[in-house]
Amino acid sequence: MANRQNISTTQPTRRTAAAFLLGAWLPGRELLAAPPFLLVVNPKNPVQQMEQSAVAQAFLKKTMAWRHGGSIRPVDLGADSQVRRRFTEQVLGRNLVAVKSYWQQMIFSGRALPPPELETDAEVVQYVLRHVGAIGYVSAGTDLRGARAVEIR
Amino acid sequence: MNRLALFALFLAAALPPGPAHASDLDLEPSDDGVEIHGFVSQGFIKSTGNNYLARSKRGSFEFNEVGINFTKDLGERLRTGVQLFARDLGAMGNYNARFDWFYLSYRFADWLGIRAGRTKLPFGLYNESADVDAARVPILLPQAVYPTINRDILLAQTGLELYGYIAMGPAGGLEYRLYGGTISVDPPQVAPPLRLVDFDVPYMVGGRLLWETPLPGLRVGGSLQSLRFDTSYGLTPGTPPVFMGLAKIGLPFVLWLGSFEYVYGRFSLAGEYGRWRANLESNVPALLPPNKTVNERYYGMATVQVTQWLSTGAYYSGFFPKVEDRKGRDAYQHDFAGTLRFDLNRHWLLKLEGHFIHGTADLSPALNDDKPLNQLQKNWWLFLAKTTAYF
Repeated sequence: MANRQNISTTQPTRRTAAAFLLGAWLPGRELLAAPPFLLVVNPKNPVQQMEQSAVAQAFLKKTMAWRHGGSIRPVDLGADSQVRRRFTEQVLGRNLVAVKSYWQQMIFSGRALPPPELETDAEVVQYVLRHVGAIGYVSAGTDLRGARAVEIR
Repeated sequence: MNRLALFALFLAAALPPGPAHASDLDLEPSDDGVEIHGFVSQGFIKSTGNNYLARSKRGSFEFNEVGINFTKDLGERLRTGVQLFARDLGAMGNYNARFDWFYLSYRFADWLGIRAGRTKLPFGLYNESADVDAARVPILLPQAVYPTINRDILLAQTGLELYGYIAMGPAGGLEYRLYGGTISVDPPQVAPPLRLVDFDVPYMVGGRLLWETPLPGLRVGGSLQSLRFDTSYGLTPGTPPVFMGLAKIGLPFVLWLGSFEYVYGRFSLAGEYGRWRANLESNVPALLPPNKTVNERYYGMATVQVTQWLSTGAYYSGFFPKVEDRKGRDAYQHDFAGTLRFDLNRHWLLKLEGHFIHGTADLSPALNDDKPLNQLQKNWWLFLAKTTAYF
């Protein structure tokens, strides 16, 4: 009886621990559950599609100018956003903690400041409509109100 | 240095704001205000066997840092900023606030920008963020490559810097930094009958090249730095004239470092290897013979983000003060470290770290009752705890 009790209490614990470790070791596991997104730019921006690496370079402020001229103004969703998590892992190729660490390095070495963070998709669309050079991402299905979706290659 | 910082701020304030230039450059005006960021850290350091960085054998809370910075975009290509920093680590710092960095930066294009002022040195992967506890997992960066005791020499230079990023499509991207100027360090302490007549750092030049490879998350690169100390000594008045004139000592350094970093999901791997060469030049070879020293430094580090609030990391680093002499406990220091980082919320973290250290090469006799390094304990432990709030 005592043995059975031990087994019944330790097995779930082991299973939980195994699932916990597996979750930690498999990158992008939560990614599957996060909602899809659209990359959006100002309607005056002639860009139709962008390489994934070019999008990453823009959001990490490594490149700051559009090829056709003018400055790139990336805008992020808030750090708790599932869309941001998906975008960060899928397009920037790293997780949110790594990106946060990257911006801490940039901020406190005086090299760059992170993009502004807006709380809702509607605010991102509004920002993109207000700034010709802006680029942002929103949940698929968001009313773009004239902002243009860009394909990521 | 303070005058330079004030000058930089004055210049920033005197320059017309972004909108005046925006139409000329086909740029949008910046609508951002002054960005303010800061951090406060308090740590505890405890060791066995030897004192390290502070009076650590008895346990020391003299392990804290505070910094605040202000950054303002003046248009989309021009930026100015300043950071004030103070720390206390054993006998170092003692809360003397100083300008960590201040600059004016103008970016002509992605591949070319220029900064003027006091800028952090891009040496290796992490030198620029060595003060930023929130930006990494370990409390102490591998001390072989990022020695905290040399922070004032290695952290920032006053002068000019060119920087840029070249996107190369499928070949990745290249980030470069080139800088030249000088550094502000305290002159060496001397005891009678010697007296310090002159101390100068005539130059510091260097650069770093990082290649972001086509393999996402992998970057490799190299850093090179050269600087020189010139010192003149005389004898105090009244000393018997055993030596007339000035003893001139030149100490040019050349430092290089090769680096790689690979980030994959929750994992990161990093490693760096370098050699630092110092040539002692002397016009009084009978008293102080010229010599050359080459030391060797390296580390390998791995980190894993286990959950949103827990990260862990481990590294091994090795340091040999004289590359050709590796015998005796004072000829090496091997450091095996492990860290737990708890992100308590978005602005507050706690870290716990343990080190097993073999060798005494990086210890200070002054902190250890002036005992020679070869008489200090060969195997010893170091434990650290640190909490940081940042915004």
